[in-house]
Amino acid sequence: MNRKNFLSSIVPLSASVGAFNKETFLKGNNSIFEEDKKIKIPSYLKRGDVIGITCPSGYISLEDIQPAVEKMKEWGFEIRIGDTVSDLNFTFAGTDKERAADFQKMIDDPSIKAIMLGRGGYGAVRIIDKINFKKFAAKPKWIIGFSDATVFHSHINANLRIATIHSKMCNSFPSDWANAEPLQIDSIESIRKCLAGDKMEYTAIAEEQNKYGVAEGELIGGNLSILQNLAATKSEIQTDGKILFIEEVDEYLYSIDRMLWNLKRSGKFDKLKALIVGGFNRIKPDDPGEEFGENIYEMILEKVKEYDYPVCFNFPVGHQRINYALKCGMKHRLNVSDISVSLIEIK
Amino acid sequence: MIIIPPYLKRGDTVGILCPAGYMPLEKAITAVETLTEWGFHVIRGKTLGHQFHYFSGTDEERLHDLQHMMDDKNIKAIFCARGGYGMGRIIEKLHFKKFKKNPKWIIGFSDITVLHSHLFSKYKIASLHAPMAAAFNDGEFNNKYIQSLKDALEGKKANYINDGHSFNKKGKAYGILIGGNLSLLAHLIGTSSEINTKNKILFIEDVGEYIYNVDRMMYQLKRSGKLNELAGLIIGKFTDMKDTTIPFGQTTEEVIRDIVKEYDYPVCFNFPVSHDRENYALKVGGEYKLSVSSSKSILKEL
Repeated sequence: MNRKNFLSSIVPLSASVGAFNKETFLKGNNSIFEEDKKIKIPSYLKRGDVIGITCPSGYISLEDIQPAVEKMKEWGFEIRIGDTVSDLNFTFAGTDKERAADFQKMIDDPSIKAIMLGRGGYGAVRIIDKINFKKFAAKPKWIIGFSDATVFHSHINANLRIATIHSKMCNSFPSDWANAEPLQIDSIESIRKCLAGDKMEYTAIAEEQNKYGVAEGELIGGNLSILQNLAATKSEIQTDGKILFIEEVDEYLYSIDRMLWNLKRSGKFDKLKALIVGGFNRIKPDDPGEEFGENIYEMILEKVKEYDYPVCFNFPVGHQRINYALKCGMKHRLNVSDISVSLIEIK
Repeated sequence: MIIIPPYLKRGDTVGILCPAGYMPLEKAITAVETLTEWGFHVIRGKTLGHQFHYFSGTDEERLHDLQHMMDDKNIKAIFCARGGYGMGRIIEKLHFKKFKKNPKWIIGFSDITVLHSHLFSKYKIASLHAPMAAAFNDGEFNNKYIQSLKDALEGKKANYINDGHSFNKKGKAYGILIGGNLSLLAHLIGTSSEINTKNKILFIEDVGEYIYNVDRMMYQLKRSGKLNELAGLIIGKFTDMKDTTIPFGQTTEEVIRDIVKEYDYPVCFNFPVSHDRENYALKVGGEYKLSVSSSKSILKEL
C-alpha cells in the first residue's frame, strides 16, 4: 500500500466535517449542520419483536413474500403485513395515497420495530414528500430494502440522521432454502445479524483494478439511477466524509457513464473517504458496431482518478444473489489491499 | 443580458461536426448540401465520419474539434450532425473565453441539450435547438421543420401554430425559452450546467424511454424546484415510449399532466419538438410568447 494514501486516509473524520463552509451556508444547504448530527441507531430487535412489511413502490403478491415471512418468523420475529402487499394498481402496490398511508402507519406504529419493503420497482419518490417523519424521528426503527428503497436511505440519512439497512427485501428471499447457494443464504443471514445488533464484517475479492488504502467513515449509498434522480432534491445524498457504495442493473453503459458524470459534476465524489463499487449487472448490450468502448472499471476509475481514496470493485452489494446487508449511516472501516478487501463496522 | 449570436447571411461559414456519437459521413451529405443550397459555406470538422467505438472520436478529439470551431472567428455557426451520447464527457473541458467575445449559433438537440443548457446557464448565450443531419435525409430536407432552422439562422422571427390537445391548460405566458431533452435536463440537475427555470417557458421532449422513467424524471424536476416557478410549459412529443411488463397505467401525457396539475401556468401538449420529423427550431435563450387554448397553441418569438 502507498504510504501517503494510508496516512491521508487515517486523518480523523472530525477534521473534515463540521467545519464552517461559507459557500454552503450561503447556498442555504444545511447539510453541514446535519453532518454534525450524530447518527441515531434504531433499537436492535429481540425475539418476539414485530417486523412490518409494506410496499411503497412496486407490486408484490402475498404468495411472493411468503419465503421472507417464514424465514423471519423462524428468526423469532412476528410479522405484520401491510395493506399494500398484494394491492395491485398497475405497476404500483396501490395508489400513491395508499402506499403513503401504509408506510406512514408502519413508521408511526410503536409496536412495529422494523420495516422490510416487499420489493423495489418504482414509486418511492412519488410518496416520499407525503410522509411525515416526526414520530419516526422520535422513535426510529429499521427500514430495510434496496434499489428503489435508496430513496429512503438517502432521504433518511440526509434529513433525519437515522441508520437504515440496505439489503435484500421480501422479493429476494429464496423460495427453496434447501437449494439456495451458501452465499445467498449468507446474504439473507446478514439481515438477521444486522437486526440483532452484530458488528458487521464483510470481505470481497481483491480485484486488480482496486485502488488500495484504508478509510473510515459513515457508509451510505445505493442504486446509481436513484442517486442521480435525487440530485438537488430534499432527499439528495450527502457524501462528504463518507464511504459511498453504488450498484446498478439493467442499464446501458452509456447511461451508467452519464449517471457517474452527474455524481461527479455535482460534487458527490469530491470529498469521499472511499468508494465501493457493487454489482453492475445485466448491462444492456450496445448496438453492434457502436460498442461503448469502456468497461465499468475504466469509466469509474476515470471519474475518480484525481482522488487518492481507496476504491474497490465487485463488492457483494447489488441486484444479485450475493447482496449483503449494509448499515447505512453507521461508521465502517474499508481496507483495500492487493490481497484482500474488508469492510468492518466500527464504533 | 442575453447574448444573441449574430444571424447568418449568404456566404457565411457553417462548421459541421459530431461532439458525441459517431455518424457516417454519407448520412450527413444531404444536410451539407442543403446548408450549401441555403447559401452557406460548409466546412467539416474531423469528428464527422470519424469513429472511436461508439463515439465520433476520443474525448480529446471531440473536445478539440468543437473548441477549434468555437474559437475560429471565420465560422459563424456550428451544426452538430448528431447527438447520441458524449457531450457531458467534455463540457467541463471546453473554454468559453473566445466564444463569449465571438458568440455563434450552436445547432442541435438531444445530447446537445447539455451544451444549450450550459451555454445559457453559465454564459447567457442563446443557441438553437433544431433538427440535425439525419432529419434532412429521406427527402425531408425541404419540410417546414428544416425550413424553420433556415429562418432562425437568418433571423426571421418564428411563429409556430400547433393543434390543440385536450390536456392543454389555457393561458398566456411571456418569457425566455429554455429546455430540451428531458433525460439530459434531469441528468444536469445538481451540476453547474443545470437549468434555472424561474419565469421561463420550459420545453421538454424525449425518445425511447420507459414511462415510469419519465415519471421519475418529472418528479426530479418537480422536487428540485424546476417546475413551480415556470411562466409556461411546452410538452413536445415523447416518441417510441416503452412500458414495463406490468403496465404503468398512464400515458406519458397523463403522467406529465398530473405532475403539473397544481400549477396554474399555461401548458401545451404535443408541440412539434421531438426526435421525429416534427421538430421546429427553437432558440434556447430567446424571448417568446406562448398562447395556449384547447384548440391550439401558439409560440411566437418576440
